[in-house]
Amino acid sequence: MRSQVAAYRFSLLVCGHPEDAEDVMQDALLKTYRYVRDIANPEAFRTWLYRTVQTACLMKRRRRAGEPSRFMPLEQRTEMDEATVRTVELADPARAADQKLIDDSTDRRVQRALQALPPAYRMIVVMREMEGLSTREVAEVTGYSEANVKTRLRRARLMLRRHLEAS
Amino acid sequence: MNDHCRMTLARISSYLDGELDTPACETIEQHCRDCSSCREVVRGLRESIGLCHQVGTSPLPEPILARARASIRQLLDEK
Repeated sequence: MRSQVAAYRFSLLVCGHPEDAEDVMQDALLKTYRYVRDIANPEAFRTWLYRTVQTACLMKRRRRAGEPSRFMPLEQRTEMDEATVRTVELADPARAADQKLIDDSTDRRVQRALQALPPAYRMIVVMREMEGLSTREVAEVTGYSEANVKTRLRRARLMLRRHLEAS
Repeated sequence: MNDHCRMTLARISSYLDGELDTPACETIEQHCRDCSSCREVVRGLRESIGLCHQVGTSPLPEPILARARASIRQLLDEK
């Protein structure tokens, strides 16, 4: 249960909306039930779960943005792709109460700055700074090399700082 | 921005993560003493990372957690 709640939290920080986070978590859990027996190493489960949630978040985001639902692996995405993925704001009144709870519990400046980052950068920041994954674990989740994760983390931190200071 | 600034910015993240050796750290620290612009970047980055850590360690509101747990249980029951 703790892993699933962690997956939900990750979905929430990446998606920014409770409704998307629930859908994403359910997708990830269904995949977990199908493939969990193939995961021999318990330590690999954590990175596998984050990878599954990350994929579900990206697919969800693309569908929300009216983009094709075909998933493009992170390693095939260019920085231009990432920069042009639109931020979509939802207006679902049924989730307004949940959204308010989240807004109240999280520094709004951080939320806004985080949502302003391109998704692939946001995921790296969330995994590294908020979820406490190591560079090696983030590399396993994203499929990037460790050097690439470090480069992206540096860029993401600089972007985040700019957004925070502009707010 | 000069070459020292560019070199500092290229290594700033590793510096903040404690991944650089002592001479490399001293080079960055010396540059930041002389360069207010890079000093501000380091300060801002430290603050941003600190804010992210705060968000990462603060618990989700109980109603949200309860909803997540209920959703998980529902999935488990359906299986």
